[in-house]
Amino acid sequence: MIAAGAAAAGTAGLVLLRRRGNLRIARGLAALRLAARGGARYASNAPKLFAAAGEHRQQLRNDLALRTAEDVTATLGTMKGVLMKLGQMASYIDDGLSPAARRTLSRLQDSVPPMSADLAAQVIEEELGQPPDRLFAAWDPEPIAAASIGQVHRAITTNGVAIAVKVQYPGIAETIEADLGNVALLRKMLRIMAPSQDVPALLAELRDRVTEELDYRKEARNQQLFADYYDGHPTIGVPRILGEYSSRRVVTSELADGARFAELAGWSQAERDLVAETIYRFVFRSLYQAHAFNGDPHPGNYLFHGGGRVTFLDFGLVKYFTADELSPLEAMVRYLCVEHKPESFRAAMVDAGFLLRETPLPTDQIVEHMAVFYDTVRERGRRTMTGDYASAVTRRFFDFRSPLAPYARIPRSYVILQRINLGLFALLGELNATADWRLIAEEIWPFVQAPPSTPMGEAEAAWLAARGERQRASRSPGREGLEGLPGRRN
Amino acid sequence: MTAGQGARGMESRTPDSVAGAEDLIERSAKAFIAAIPQQPEDDGYFGPASITWRLAADLSAPVAGLRGLLMQALHPLAMAGVDQHSGWRRDPAGRLAATSAYLATLTFGDRATADRAAAQVRRIHDHVRGTDPVTGRPYAAGDPALLLWVHVTFVDSGLAAARAFGTPPSNAEADAYIRETRIYAELLGVPRDIIPADQRGLAEYVRSVVPELMNTPAAEEAAGYLLDPPNMDPAVADLWQELRDAVLAVLPDWALDRYGYRPPPPLTAERRDEIRGALGMFDAVLLGEPGVLEARQRITLRQRDVH
Repeated sequence: MIAAGAAAAGTAGLVLLRRRGNLRIARGLAALRLAARGGARYASNAPKLFAAAGEHRQQLRNDLALRTAEDVTATLGTMKGVLMKLGQMASYIDDGLSPAARRTLSRLQDSVPPMSADLAAQVIEEELGQPPDRLFAAWDPEPIAAASIGQVHRAITTNGVAIAVKVQYPGIAETIEADLGNVALLRKMLRIMAPSQDVPALLAELRDRVTEELDYRKEARNQQLFADYYDGHPTIGVPRILGEYSSRRVVTSELADGARFAELAGWSQAERDLVAETIYRFVFRSLYQAHAFNGDPHPGNYLFHGGGRVTFLDFGLVKYFTADELSPLEAMVRYLCVEHKPESFRAAMVDAGFLLRETPLPTDQIVEHMAVFYDTVRERGRRTMTGDYASAVTRRFFDFRSPLAPYARIPRSYVILQRINLGLFALLGELNATADWRLIAEEIWPFVQAPPSTPMGEAEAAWLAARGERQRASRSPGREGLEGLPGRRN
Repeated sequence: MTAGQGARGMESRTPDSVAGAEDLIERSAKAFIAAIPQQPEDDGYFGPASITWRLAADLSAPVAGLRGLLMQALHPLAMAGVDQHSGWRRDPAGRLAATSAYLATLTFGDRATADRAAAQVRRIHDHVRGTDPVTGRPYAAGDPALLLWVHVTFVDSGLAAARAFGTPPSNAEADAYIRETRIYAELLGVPRDIIPADQRGLAEYVRSVVPELMNTPAAEEAAGYLLDPPNMDPAVADLWQELRDAVLAVLPDWALDRYGYRPPPPLTAERRDEIRGALGMFDAVLLGEPGVLEARQRITLRQRDVH
């Protein structure tokens, strides 16, 4: 009867998950809320920034380590792996879940112990053909970090290259894939945990997000594309993938080290401004020039080296844009900020699917509502990003009582974009960074392509020029975006 | 459904209220945590190598509990005792929590703690006496015949549920489980020699009791509550349906027949996986309560020490 009590308590818990929180928001706007993962969390929950999923797990003693594939299934099977992923998604949704639901989902993340050294070695051998101590010149059996469905080990190749080897829990991909197929049950669960959300949209997002992460080859491909694109960049670094040590369940890159985001608090404001400029350039150059977006704006995925140099890690969630997807976004910026044509801006919003054509509101009201999102780039001049600004953007984003809300949409292909946008603002706000963001944007906007506005811009221009030389020399595709490269996937 | 449990201190609570539910899950979790000792004096009556520990922590455990309760309720005297003394209607969920706390203490606690808990229940049982309004027969909660029925339904259900939805025990493990768990009944006053000690004995004993079983009005009400709790949030009711289907799928035919439930369709592999997923979700919710994870880790560590 431990059991019966457990069942009863379980139900009660579910009731609580549903009732304890304040979960009311307008239906049909769930995509907006999903889009805001990241931003909302950073804006209002800053201390959590530093508690990445893995940190709790590292406190777990190794005596609880998962020692067999069966241990993995027992711990992460029967929906628990899926719920854990939902927890990671939900942690970005600031106003979405009650404290009880949040606690449940985050406890689930904490409940996953690391793999034992033997089990991790076994995965390496299965995936790469040899056990790590034979494959590498040195192998650290203690994981240095936890990943959501795996863990990261340090090693040194026989050529003396220090590497980070991310190893996936054995069997976890199959288990989670099977559970994701249990659609009826997932719907029931989401109706309980997120009753006010658009459940099919949430489910689709959950499935996409998780499926994306199960096959590490995808992440390896993404990261290598970014590494290639930014090769030689003065301040943006992306560790190279070592393809010979990568597979479905293992992804290996150069080992990067550097200061963590938390340490920036002790850096000078000038240094922090440089960090912000690099991140800003990375985000917008990736979007407008490389046509790709790294959708995981977690500051835990950045390493800092001073002089504005930043290493970007974790390319598990990358979205590639086609020219058709990108052009309405460009049009919106151009009409609002450069050409000052409100009616054209409105038409571009409609074309992009952000606004219903029949919206019965005057254009100036729409512009007024949207302007906050473009605040940093509407006018030239130095501006300091603040947490308040980031919060204001987030609040506006979540303002479902606004007259515009019933007519606003976020098309699926842009969901991830909004997410990183909000995340970026929150991050820059936290750095309290000052720059003329408009001038930097003008350098990058394809429809402006202004000359460098900062020393970093100068260095970047030199890099671009040298890069152009190299590309001409190697007769690589004329287009500088990632889409010209082999292996590009949407 | 050990009569008398859970009657303490629940009178002021409104059934099914959110406050009550909140109270329940917290108390349930606390009771479970308290039952898993930090520094046990000994391994208790089972110990980390036991099959009893394994089955108590099995994913299928909620199904086992509900199945056991549904079987017990069909015994008119056992049901009358619960119905007339435990006050389950006032706080049915609290009643369940108290009983599960008792069983967790017996299972995972050290011997002295288990003995104290059992002694307390025996004292309560001394006062649970009366006459069953349906059969007109007198009953006493301390009657070994009633206690044995309650015991056997849980043991039988633990095996049936694990076979259908959990990690199935081997035949030898099933017999070991039946032997190990005899102490539950003994501690409440059932003579050891009448407690079944293997699968065959268990089945024979159940068959011998079946003719006495009937769906009394009290049984019907209790079963209705368990299978379809009233005033549940519709979304939660949806998930509870998975649990109900699971219980009906493993309920013996005679019990389905007494209750007048239609026999469920055969359990397909796909349906089984869906139900296991639902059980995983229930488990995740419990795990979300502070301290439950650590309590489970205490159990795991002790199990690892011996395996």
